[in-house]
Amino acid sequence: MKSLILETTMRVLMGLLLVFSIFLLLRGHNLPGGGFGGGLVAGSAFALKALASGTTSARSLLWFDPRTIIGLGLLVALVSGLFGAPYGLPFLTGLWDLTIFPVVGKLGTPLLFDTGVYIVVLGITTLIIFTLADEEDA
Amino acid sequence: MAELLVPAIAAVFVAALLAPALHRGLGDRSGILLGLVPLAACAAFLTLAPGVEAGQAVRVALPWAPSLGITLSFYVDGLSLLFLIVVSAIGTFIVWYAAGYLHGDPGLGKFYLYLLSFMGAMLGLVAADNLILLFIFWELTSITSYLLIGYYHNAAKSRAAALQALLVTGGGGLAMLAGLILLARIGGSYEISALLALPSGALTGDPLFPMALVLILLGAFTKSAQFPFHFWLPNAMEAPAPVSAFLHSATMVKAGVFLLARLHPLLDSHPWWTGIVAPIGAITMVTGVWLGLGQSDLKKILAYTTLSVLGTLTLLLGIGTSLAIKACLTYLLAHALYKAALFMAAGAVDHETGTRDVGVLSGLRKAMPITAAAALLGALSMAGTPLLLGFVSKEYFYKALLEADGPAYLWETLGVAASMAMFALAVTAGIRPFFGKPSETPKHAHEAPWTMFVGPVLLGISAVAFGILPGWVGDRLIGPASRAVLGDPAFQADLALWHGWNTALFLSIVTVAGGLVVYFVAPRLRAAQPLYSALAAVGPERGYDVALAGLLRFSAYQTRLLQSGYLRNYVLIIGIFTTGLVAWCLFDTPFEIDFARMVPPSVLGVGACLLIIAGAVMACLADSRFTAIVSLGVVGLCIAILFFLFSAPDLAMTQILVEALTVVLFVLAFYKLPLLRELSSGAARIRDAVLALGFGGVMTALVMVGFHFDAPAPRISNFMAEQSYPAAQGRNVVNVILVDFRALDTLGEITVLGIAALGIYAMLRLRSTGKGDS
Repeated sequence: MKSLILETTMRVLMGLLLVFSIFLLLRGHNLPGGGFGGGLVAGSAFALKALASGTTSARSLLWFDPRTIIGLGLLVALVSGLFGAPYGLPFLTGLWDLTIFPVVGKLGTPLLFDTGVYIVVLGITTLIIFTLADEEDA
Repeated sequence: MAELLVPAIAAVFVAALLAPALHRGLGDRSGILLGLVPLAACAAFLTLAPGVEAGQAVRVALPWAPSLGITLSFYVDGLSLLFLIVVSAIGTFIVWYAAGYLHGDPGLGKFYLYLLSFMGAMLGLVAADNLILLFIFWELTSITSYLLIGYYHNAAKSRAAALQALLVTGGGGLAMLAGLILLARIGGSYEISALLALPSGALTGDPLFPMALVLILLGAFTKSAQFPFHFWLPNAMEAPAPVSAFLHSATMVKAGVFLLARLHPLLDSHPWWTGIVAPIGAITMVTGVWLGLGQSDLKKILAYTTLSVLGTLTLLLGIGTSLAIKACLTYLLAHALYKAALFMAAGAVDHETGTRDVGVLSGLRKAMPITAAAALLGALSMAGTPLLLGFVSKEYFYKALLEADGPAYLWETLGVAASMAMFALAVTAGIRPFFGKPSETPKHAHEAPWTMFVGPVLLGISAVAFGILPGWVGDRLIGPASRAVLGDPAFQADLALWHGWNTALFLSIVTVAGGLVVYFVAPRLRAAQPLYSALAAVGPERGYDVALAGLLRFSAYQTRLLQSGYLRNYVLIIGIFTTGLVAWCLFDTPFEIDFARMVPPSVLGVGACLLIIAGAVMACLADSRFTAIVSLGVVGLCIAILFFLFSAPDLAMTQILVEALTVVLFVLAFYKLPLLRELSSGAARIRDAVLALGFGGVMTALVMVGFHFDAPAPRISNFMAEQSYPAAQGRNVVNVILVDFRALDTLGEITVLGIAALGIYAMLRLRSTGKGDS
């Protein structure tokens, strides 16, 4: 199920959607957005890509297998909670570097945690959609 | 030295963890090395002995979960010390023995993992001060025993026996947990040492006490295989011989007896104590030997006599006089020594000849002289022959029964009868296989390796040494243990070999004579299997089988009933229960609608609501799937508008994204879905409509009540809104809650999401390969 119009549009849209998803992730702590929404947007981008040019090319664009991505995201979220451990702080205590960086703003472990959420959501959406779409092709 | 106590117990667990790797590296020799760990632990426990003998109990406490009242606390008095030494000393021999018995078995490393874990749990159990800690070790012995009984897991019989032991002892353990919690509530502490310090009879007046007593007794009786829970123990003989020798004679089955002894000062002043414990013990004592006389399998005979001894110990604890306690502990020590020796010898015979049938085995003394000598010592002690510890313990047993309060003559008669049968069985199992004409056996018999006879020989020698010098062992071990069980620091054991010409000695002579008669009658009993089968058909094991089959049938039935596999049925069940339960809770909650406190309706809001209603109705009435999906999409987007209106942009955004993804999913699935069909009858549709309206109505009412509910404490939402920036560096409260305040919840949620996605993946994959369509 390929469509020339969608495929051409996706060349532009793919990058925009991915940048937008990261934008959502980064602004999430102060303004509407966050890892969950960002992950959904990124997932939709890959879903559209799969619709436009088939799962094989969408998969190669994603690099990792969606199952690996889910595991990776969980790992990132888990690790973000361990930063307080050397200081004797409880699991998942938020730690912040209060310097304001350009673009990103303040950096802290909650942002890393949110990145984990983003990755997990991306993995889940692509896993389900790719699997459904694979079956479509078969 | 008190500081050695915890490391000694921990070392056994560490050895358990290292065992598989060690076995991979060193092969069967690893067993010799691993045996040194319990040996060192035993030495460490012996260093505690002088202090304990002088009346200074050792107490070590490490904080664990203070908020739950659970401390990692250990308390070693005379009773614990007796058990610690017996478990670690016999454990050493068992570890060595297993190296020979399971020689060349690739699973030996795993076996040591289970065996040493069990040993650690048993040591922890007898040294635990905290009741919850005791329970944890207790259950750990049940679980490791399950793994050990089921070691030959390719055999169905072995698996069934393991499961039976686990269900019976584990079930009893749960009852015991309830009993221990009740006891701690009545006594105001979870520490055994604190409870024992209370004045005698301080707890028995409480109205909850009888319940606590019965529950604790259930735990002890199942663990120590008391009638009517005795059936699991003989079945557990499916286990390899080292397991039978260790768990099912010397240690685990004594845990119940230990518990009764440990809590004796707290429980025995209640009339139910003697009323329940003594008769159950007496019944078990007689049942054990009666069933044992019908057996021709060497290990089964030993198992049934163990049962009988456990009954004897329970009977003595039930009688509870100072003489009975002393007799109980002496008997316990004597039994641990001779029964472990006999079990190991029986395992060696099985290992070297290939059979355990006492009808076949004879004359092995030429082929296996050392094993024969050890078995002879064990059997003589079991039969109660003078100069062995078994004789001393039997004398005190008789004396205690004679001086018991209550039906002393009944107890005495049963005790002598059981001892006669015990004598006959000792000859059958420990002496006859080795004497007489050498027999033809499946394997050509020869002496077992040293690892397999060092234990029986040393245990047999100690049975003689302690038998000749009972005063020494009385002062060192039995005395301190009796003082702990009696709660009487002045008590002296004063064990002696010779008591003069008294009734007990006369009864011993009667026992030997009667025992010889039983020995010659026993073959007829072994031939009378139809009688035993007829009794077994109405026995308690039948009850276990019926209960287990019933449980399985019931779970199959309720699974079929509730897990239909149809999504609509699940939705229906969840809907009915949610509506019903919420409605029930709201039933008499008064509420009035206070319009003044509500946000005034806006044109956009009312419009969105009307569209939601229209969309829902359309979805229900649609006759094509496409219409239904589009209608639901309208509902979703209008809900997003409502979120915007009530200033929840995060929710609105997520809602819109989910709607968009739903469209993608729908496009992908559309071609594969079957045509929309009319599945529901008219009546079913009306039922669904009623349920749906009821669900909506109840939820509306719930929101109304919640809206008018004035929380007594400050609202958590206010706290989070205020603290969001100062405490968590974020202005978006929703996000701060998700990634900081409630990050643990989020971590759980994304884990669940990941698992659900894998489930979906598996289901889709199974369908596409055509497997799993059933």
